[in-house]
Amino acid sequence: MSRVWREPARLMVFLGVMFAAASAWPLDVPPLTGRVVDLAHILPPDVATSLTHDLEAHETKTSNQVSVLILPSLEGEPLESFSHRVGTTWKLGHKGTDNGVLLLIALRERKVRIEVGYGLEGTLTDLRSAHIIRQEIVPRFRSGDLPGGIAAGVQAILDTIEGTYKAEEVLPGHDRSGQEPTAFEYVIIGIVVGTLAGIVLSHGLQRTRALIGSLLAFLVAQFASVGLGLAAAGITAFLLWLMLQANRSGGRRGGRGDGIVIGPGEGFGGSFGGGGFSGGGGSFGGGGASGGW
Amino acid sequence: MGRRISVFTTIAITVLFVGLSGCGYNELQGLDEDTKAAWSEVVNQYQRRADLIPNLVATVKGYAAHEKDTLEWVVQARAQATGIQVTPETLKDPAAFEQFQKAQAGLTSALGRLIAIAENYPNLKADQNFRDLQSQLEGTENRIAVARKRYIEKVAEYNKGVRYFPTNLTAKFLLHMEEKPNFTVADEKAVAKPPEVKFN
Repeated sequence: MSRVWREPARLMVFLGVMFAAASAWPLDVPPLTGRVVDLAHILPPDVATSLTHDLEAHETKTSNQVSVLILPSLEGEPLESFSHRVGTTWKLGHKGTDNGVLLLIALRERKVRIEVGYGLEGTLTDLRSAHIIRQEIVPRFRSGDLPGGIAAGVQAILDTIEGTYKAEEVLPGHDRSGQEPTAFEYVIIGIVVGTLAGIVLSHGLQRTRALIGSLLAFLVAQFASVGLGLAAAGITAFLLWLMLQANRSGGRRGGRGDGIVIGPGEGFGGSFGGGGFSGGGGSFGGGGASGGW
Repeated sequence: MGRRISVFTTIAITVLFVGLSGCGYNELQGLDEDTKAAWSEVVNQYQRRADLIPNLVATVKGYAAHEKDTLEWVVQARAQATGIQVTPETLKDPAAFEQFQKAQAGLTSALGRLIAIAENYPNLKADQNFRDLQSQLEGTENRIAVARKRYIEKVAEYNKGVRYFPTNLTAKFLLHMEEKPNFTVADEKAVAKPPEVKFN
């Protein structure tokens, strides 16, 4: 029930953000179409495939999300701010561990940057990133071997961050958001807690029962949102009022409301659809290094 | 009749609670915390930069000892910047905030000068230690930029909460919150010019 209206809302927010981003900056963040996004078409297909394979294997093993973006040009945008924007938009790395890395190459400007997520700054330090650029990437780029430089750079990045996280620790939390109560669950919890508390706290004081119950329901469901709190409070008040009615008519303690059972709704906490590659919600604080060739 | 009152009272109290949460008490508190967290990150990164400087100065001295003016300028600017303690409380004070901003911007321009003169010393530029320090300094400057950007966004959100109706009432009468000063690009540019003074 909550899903139905939450998804369009999310989409609207997303579209709004995208629109704002598109109008405020000269260069759009390209869509995340895979682990290796080669917009300049410099990678031979077999290199791109093997890189993608390596990156995927690395994520399966360590949960680190590493991506490569090759651009024909930055269109005048500063390398660092663009790179940070790509990392943030793609959300490389996982929520909580922030273990994403972006290797960005801008051909026309002859610039390269390794953007490091918060959670990997300790292992893939600015200095280590600078060394990878200086020792692995730039020499190969200078001699004209772009694919070789990129492959060597990626390999060095993967070797560096290899032991930072283990997949078992992180991947179960992959859909962490699904493990937190959803808005709908908050309403249910609110109604149940509110109803029980209303009955217990005002045992005998029938008039106050509905009040206390609905207040508590409201407060609990408030964690999700005001509207849902209101809904939970309303439903609780109604339920308790029904019980009150039943009590009035049917002696001391008549039909306890079975009315609490509200449709269970669909399953909560879906995860990403399989197949495509998408960021796991990591964030970036500007760590990493830049270089040129 | 009693039954009726209970239904009405329920609605009234529910409305009251909705009103309370609509007044943004929790929201304002949350925004306040967010700005403090964003601020700590800014201070952290500035501190990180300050920590790099002694090594950097020592390395440059090894190759360009006679660039005394610039070296001393950097040392002094660092002392000035680290001498200012800004806590979340002094954050509310625009004057103290500006002082902090000025001191850090002063250090930024001094460092810029130091890196610029290094261009004239091929041996220094080729020094592994210097290159490493330079990479770290660049990284830190970039993090400072990111942290500042985040702080600017958070303070803007917070200030909106403090100014917009009806949350401004909660902010003013209940929480006694005031707008927080924010980084401005103009300040940064104005103070980023190297001062005319010469050290002996």
